[in-house]
Amino acid sequence: MPDQIQENSSNKIVVIVPAYNEEPVIKKILLEILEKGYTVIVVDDGSDISLKQLLNYLPVYFLRHQANLGQGAALQTGFDYAKKLQPDFIVTIDADGQHHSSSIDSLIEPLITNEADIVLGSRFLSKEDTTIPFAKKIVLHSARIINYFFSGLMLSDAHNGLRAFNKNALQKINITENRMAHASEFLFEIKKHRLRYKEVPVTVAYTEYSKQKGQSVWDSIRIFFDLILYKLFQ
Amino acid sequence: MTGIQLILLTGVAFISLYFVIRLKKKLLDLVLLVILISTAIVFIIWPELTTALAKKLGVGRGADLIFYTSILIFWFVLLKLYARIRLLEKSFTQIIREDAIKKAGSPDSDKLTDIK
Repeated sequence: MPDQIQENSSNKIVVIVPAYNEEPVIKKILLEILEKGYTVIVVDDGSDISLKQLLNYLPVYFLRHQANLGQGAALQTGFDYAKKLQPDFIVTIDADGQHHSSSIDSLIEPLITNEADIVLGSRFLSKEDTTIPFAKKIVLHSARIINYFFSGLMLSDAHNGLRAFNKNALQKINITENRMAHASEFLFEIKKHRLRYKEVPVTVAYTEYSKQKGQSVWDSIRIFFDLILYKLFQ
Repeated sequence: MTGIQLILLTGVAFISLYFVIRLKKKLLDLVLLVILISTAIVFIIWPELTTALAKKLGVGRGADLIFYTSILIFWFVLLKLYARIRLLEKSFTQIIREDAIKKAGSPDSDKLTDIK
């Protein structure tokens, strides 16, 4: 219902939360974000049971895919809808409880100072923690190299769901990789549209829940093939 | 006629029957199919022909030649299928996305109850 969209100051920062079967944890992260006064768009990516009931009493924009398409598709749906709200900044964050809402502020900072068009969260830049499982580290580092190979951008973290960008980048970025290869596609888009990017340290919590939901080594092989196909058919 | 020839010919017969039933309206497809089927039949009945051809191309045995060309054809078909799948995916993504945006629910401040 686009006519209900109000253009007010709360739309300045829009946080997009793609979710697929995240009932046990999504409410916590949403409450944290809402408390900070940001506008939230939840994109339910065809969860088995619609998240609508669960989120009924939360002041969020709620969109639901009729079928499960993948996180990349859910993000792009969020971006398309966000354009109607005319935000200054857009943030993407995972719903699985891996990310802290406190990271949002550090992501947005380089955008406010106009140092960058897009800011990417990196779990490897932060000094403190982090108990990243060893196998996960290997997978992420190989992914960095593969991303460098495909995009020419060497980042410290290849697949981090925490990102923020300004309205200029929002108009340009178009994610067509429906599944997890979208993380690399962000880099292709940065390169293609010559966006200024910056990485900032964020912490990623490895809870039992997020480990189960997270990507396995097998998934990274799939991402690799998705990337080859993307390059072939682009 | 050997056992394997019988098996292969029966297979080709069934496959062509299936295709003819499905594609009978498209002339070009039919022509292509007839060429493919007749090549298959000729090579099955006179397998020594493939060996002669293989020798000319520098491959040892006729069976090897067929094996190599099959791999090429297989890859080609696989890529075509992938391209088709991606195209399909693109269109249904668009449909699902448009539907989601059309039915989007806005925040209603009256519902704001359980913050904090």
